[in-house]
Amino acid sequence: MTRTSPVIEAEGLDLTFQTNDGPVHALKDVSLTIGKGDFVSFIGPSGCGKTTFLRVMAALEQPTGGSVTVNGMTPDEARRSRAYGYVFQAAGLYPWRTIAGNIRLPLEIMGFSRKEQDRRVKDVLQLVDLEGFGGKYPWQLSGGMQQRASIARALSFDADILLMDEPFGALDEIVRDHLNEQLLALWKRTGKTIAFVTHSIPEAVYLSTHIVVMSPRPGRITDVIESPLPQDRPLDIRDTAGFLEVAHRVREGLRAGQSHDD
Amino acid sequence: MQDFAQEFKSAAALILAGDPELWAIVLLSLKVSLLAVLIAALIGMPLGAALGVGRFPGRRAVVIVLNALMGLPPVVVGLLVYLMLSRSGPLGVLNLLYTPSAMIVAQVVLVTPIVAALTRQTVETLDAEYSEQLRSLGVSRLASVPTLLWDSRLALLTALLAGFGRAIAEVGAVIMVGGNINHVTRVMTTTIALETSKGNLALALALGTILIGIAVTVTGAVSLLGLNDDRGALKHA
Repeated sequence: MTRTSPVIEAEGLDLTFQTNDGPVHALKDVSLTIGKGDFVSFIGPSGCGKTTFLRVMAALEQPTGGSVTVNGMTPDEARRSRAYGYVFQAAGLYPWRTIAGNIRLPLEIMGFSRKEQDRRVKDVLQLVDLEGFGGKYPWQLSGGMQQRASIARALSFDADILLMDEPFGALDEIVRDHLNEQLLALWKRTGKTIAFVTHSIPEAVYLSTHIVVMSPRPGRITDVIESPLPQDRPLDIRDTAGFLEVAHRVREGLRAGQSHDD
Repeated sequence: MQDFAQEFKSAAALILAGDPELWAIVLLSLKVSLLAVLIAALIGMPLGAALGVGRFPGRRAVVIVLNALMGLPPVVVGLLVYLMLSRSGPLGVLNLLYTPSAMIVAQVVLVTPIVAALTRQTVETLDAEYSEQLRSLGVSRLASVPTLLWDSRLALLTALLAGFGRAIAEVGAVIMVGGNINHVTRVMTTTIALETSKGNLALALALGTILIGIAVTVTGAVSLLGLNDDRGALKHA
């Protein structure tokens, strides 16, 4: 088993939220290494800490214990060196900005020249298959197209790491299949490292090189599955025995985590 | 009834003939209120934006006080500004009482809370939508203010128009600190009040017509901007 150089390394990560109902143990002793170019999915029931883990990588949450590095830096330093793009659960496009205007937002903030902004917007629009839609407003696009625009925004400043928090959760299955296929193609073309939070077992198995199974109370990793599936994955790979075997192992992992609870 | 019809005719004649006295009054009104709104914007917008994104103890209380100040009674503001600027007042040495500057000061006091409160509300709403995205890009709260202000420019323009509408139509404060002196501090509202009491209805009606025109235009512009803003937001939802 060969692993590429580590991009994200978490070691004994702990995070406890103080709430009115007492402390909530969102992450407990979470250790994980994500290699360069990996596509890692995080799957588990609500409250298993998968989104919290992603937010810790992005320096949107502070861990209460343990350590995490991104490109050898703290998450906060990594953020300032534009190491990652973050795709939120909702597309989160701003209705008063055009699609191009939304994608341009990070570039404006980072102070790219207008010419460079235009070039990059054009490039990423092409990357997510939205050429010609730059002048449209978000409400003129379908949900799937909006989510693609939101991915384009995260890609616009060319970070090596893409952190995605259930980006396709609100979409219907047909659109989701299509976007999964496109995301896989995009990942192959760009060689980015992707951390991807999902609720869907088929989605996790179809997309990932590594599947991280998590369970709740306290949020922890119960299994890390390295996918034996080939790099080339047409959609109908999901009917093959190999695919179903991986899906079965994920389901078993999820079930084991649940029984721990009872 | 005959008389009223006659007065309306004379009013129309005054407007159409471009009566110099009438237009001097209109111009002074516009000058005073526009300057007041400009100054109020320079004070109120940064204040409102800071309040919108800032987090400090007592913030809620400040927001409530600011919102309450939107309803300041003009006559009371006039009285307070009068006391400040009168000879024996703390700012008496400036000799500003009964000048257009005094009127601008009074209107600034009236309009700044409106601009600041509406800016606060706008920026805070936008911040709720933007903050995660901006944080993921490594933008600090303070550094996000220019982006927030720029992206809420339509709503901020609405706030300015609302402030202008308040200033141009206001009579109590400007008459107290301006003194309604002919050719010096006589603006549309104060002239209307004076000429009506004198029975010179033609001039009052002419000014009234222009004032209504300005007020309706401004209000129309506000709701038109608001409508366009809503449309985008609604379709998004």
